[in-house]
Amino acid sequence: MPRRAPAAASVFDFASLVRQHQAMVFSIAWHLLRDRAVAEELAQDVFLSLHQHLAQMESPEHVLFWLRRVTSNRALDEARRRQRRPMVSLENAPEPVAATSTGDPLLGTALKKLVAALPEKARAIVVLRYQEDLDPAEIARVLGIPVGTVKSQLQRALALLREKLSRVVGQASGLSPREE
Amino acid sequence: MESFEEELRSALRRCEPSPDFAERVLARVSAAPVRRAQHPWVPWLAAIAAALLLTVGSLEYRHYRGERAKDQVLLAMRIAGSKLNKAQKKVQMVAHRSNS
Repeated sequence: MPRRAPAAASVFDFASLVRQHQAMVFSIAWHLLRDRAVAEELAQDVFLSLHQHLAQMESPEHVLFWLRRVTSNRALDEARRRQRRPMVSLENAPEPVAATSTGDPLLGTALKKLVAALPEKARAIVVLRYQEDLDPAEIARVLGIPVGTVKSQLQRALALLREKLSRVVGQASGLSPREE
Repeated sequence: MESFEEELRSALRRCEPSPDFAERVLARVSAAPVRRAQHPWVPWLAAIAAALLLTVGSLEYRHYRGERAKDQVLLAMRIAGSKLNKAQKKVQMVAHRSNS
């Protein structure tokens, strides 16, 4: 098997790597944890760890894969820890600054809350699918689980989200005439 | 189907951390203690060295126990020899008395 020569640490400019990937790393943590301070802390830890492993990085693709994998796993661990002792209500979680939205802001807020209520693994799969635009095989590699599990959990999560969203939208439209 | 997925994609789009995020990361990196890059074979070398130490140690211990056992046998033989000498002298004395 041919061996790839590991890139020297100097090949990667660490500051540029942070600036290039900070939105991706922070957003995975934010969408999985819905706590800005914890997501930023976790994202910083991930970059600190990247700095320690920089000599082992072989290519920009390797860096991207490594960041997605480490961020997802750490955020999943943190989400599980926080589930055992919840700290902040989702209603009170402040929204971070995002790129210009293309969708309905109310629907978007409802969807974020519904995604945040999914079980951790399903949430990570949905975030990697729709935030990072990864296909099921790539998600399986990042999370270290079988592709079949990714596909089935994704289908189940989407069905659940659709059902809950239609209920939320139905309730909202049912309330508005009475409010008038 | 597509519009639902588009809404989901829009809701989960990437967002920026605080403006000073990168600076804080770089400050933490420069404050962190320098860790020397470790070659992948270092843990293997450490494991081999530990195994060698254990093997040599157990061989040495076996050798030490063998030496101790040998010393004890020699001491036992020396004690038995001196006892035999004393007994022989007594027998000779008794024989000498009975002859005279």
